Amino acid sequence: MKRYPAYEFPEYVDWRPDPAVQQAFADRLVADPARAAVIGALDREALLSLYEGLVRARLHDIHLKRWVKQGVITKAWLGAGEEAVTVGACAALRPEDVVGPMIRNAAACFQRGMPMVECFAAYLGTTDAITQGRDLHIGDLEFGVVPPISHVGDLVPVMAGCALAFRLRGEPRVAVTWTGDGSTATGAVHEGLRMASATRAPFICFVQNNLVALGTRGQAHFTGDFADLPAAYGMTGMVVDGNNVLDVYAATVLAAERCRRGEGPVLIVAQTFRMGGHATHDEREARELFPPEVFAHWGQRDPIGCFETWLVEARGVAPEALSAIEARVDAAIEAAAREAVSGKGVREPDPATVAQGVWA
Amino acid sequence: MAVGTFLEALREALLEEMEDDERVFLLGEDIATYGGAFKLTQGFVERFGPGRVIDTPIAEGGIIGAAIGAALMGLRPVAEMQFLDFISCGFDQLTNFAAKVHYRWGQPVPIVVRGPGGAAGGGPFHSQSVEMYFIKTPGIKVVEPSTAADAKLLLKAAIRDPNPVLFIEHKGLYRAPALREELPDRAAVGELGRAAIRRDGSDLVIITYGAMVHKSLEAAEQIAREDGAQVRVLDLRTLQPMDDAAIMEAVRACARVLIVHEDTRTAGLAGEITARINEQAFEWLDAPIRRVTALDTPVPYNKNLEAAFLPQVPDIVRAARGLLDY
Repeated sequence: MKRYPAYEFPEYVDWRPDPAVQQAFADRLVADPARAAVIGALDREALLSLYEGLVRARLHDIHLKRWVKQGVITKAWLGAGEEAVTVGACAALRPEDVVGPMIRNAAACFQRGMPMVECFAAYLGTTDAITQGRDLHIGDLEFGVVPPISHVGDLVPVMAGCALAFRLRGEPRVAVTWTGDGSTATGAVHEGLRMASATRAPFICFVQNNLVALGTRGQAHFTGDFADLPAAYGMTGMVVDGNNVLDVYAATVLAAERCRRGEGPVLIVAQTFRMGGHATHDEREARELFPPEVFAHWGQRDPIGCFETWLVEARGVAPEALSAIEARVDAAIEAAAREAVSGKGVREPDPATVAQGVWA
Repeated sequence: MAVGTFLEALREALLEEMEDDERVFLLGEDIATYGGAFKLTQGFVERFGPGRVIDTPIAEGGIIGAAIGAALMGLRPVAEMQFLDFISCGFDQLTNFAAKVHYRWGQPVPIVVRGPGGAAGGGPFHSQSVEMYFIKTPGIKVVEPSTAADAKLLLKAAIRDPNPVLFIEHKGLYRAPALREELPDRAAVGELGRAAIRRDGSDLVIITYGAMVHKSLEAAEQIAREDGAQVRVLDLRTLQPMDDAAIMEAVRACARVLIVHEDTRTAGLAGEITARINEQAFEWLDAPIRRVTALDTPVPYNKNLEAAFLPQVPDIVRAARGLLDY
């Protein structure tokens, strides 16, 4: 896809495929026979849809960065470089399933069909968003999205409760959430996993291990292996390459099948890396947390670049077909962003409504 | 119609709501096989099955969080805190998640978090009054009944309410023989947000709730006997939202106000009630508002210490006389 030097991580600007990394990407797809079968069953349309999701997520973040630079908003919490964990998981779900994304998984919102303009509008605090200017964390049950709160980890018991409801009613639905490696330290995550395990709820929890908890390297406070967690909780465990959208997709499909069969919750550990800051305001500090080789390593594993290369080289997709998707998504995001911004100063919440809605 | 205790009234409310609405289910620690720490849900798992009466891990945040999720998916969870002291472990889910959902994105969260509160010999961690932690947070209703009939009526109303409701049951009332009374029939449902006059009078009003309603009534009878003054006792029943209209009506009728609560003094509900009266009915007062509350200490374990910590009938009588003589 087109790169934007003003907004992208240095490693992404002149990104070129590395044969060894691409080989590892391809090897990963056949490493597990069950996942390989799921991936093998994907037709061209499904593959391109995954690509579209990744590109949409990236361009959404680039637009937010642009807004920060222009002073439209003061900061944004981005998922750039970690898109595959969100997009691959959501693509594996059915419309009746529900997801509880962290703010870094905002792509789950539009992956589930929420209008992009609403997601932008939430940041602007205008009445175009379901939140009506009351919060920037967004979701909408109409699309099966439960919005997060700032208290990381708290979504885990809540989403386990959604799954519990499905189990009680005997519905073949699945609830999915993501927690960062940092927030696995919270009591909420532990309690949520224990609840899900105790109730055998159809619940999938990702540990999105991006190696950093806000401004501290994850290894500074956790030297264990997240892959050991599922066994400790009596849950089915899976480990995925969080930068490989097909691996994430296939694992989620298999996890959801287990859940729908009533085989209890699944904990998926996704290995990835936060290329940027905790938010847009601390990218410099984030770059100082790890040596440049780490950024080079993960930069080479750009989930979009790797998948794009694989689509062209292994599946014979014409680069023009990918460019066409990118152009279409880019135009849609431009339009959504423009529409959202047009509400600024116009479709602002009326201060007279401030006290409304505390009570249902 | 059957006669029952406070605890039996609560049990009947849960039973009837579960029978009448399949969305209602219970979750909490030891509530199924064990029947609950106070045996309130004894027999429920046999009647409704383990799907609707769920024994959870010792994880109050997990319990309340799961209740929120289930409510978002259309169920009507009733979560039990084995003792309300332990709700502190689920504080975040209730105050930051449940309380803010409707304001943030318009979705109702119809959950009830209920359990035994108040002092009855349990010491610092099994006796606390937790209401003010939650009254402070917009978006959570707080209910504390004082009679068996109200326990049934208001628990049913709480379950049917679209908001998160904290339902406080004073454990000292659970099996109190004096509270046995005829329980309302199946069709009756209470209304949240309405206070009740437990004893009429126009010389002084005692505004109170929970177990203190009964001590206040005792004090009022003593004053009637010994002083000939008639004390009104107003039982708030719902602490959030509070029945301001009933409070102001009582202020206008009685002109002297005593507030009694079992919760500790500083930043207890009496402070808020006093401020509201000052704002809405100050000119009707003939005396400063006074309060009788527990001391600003943890709840002590020893029986004599606990009695010294709690408001007692003589404390209420003394304060009331001070106001009547003002």
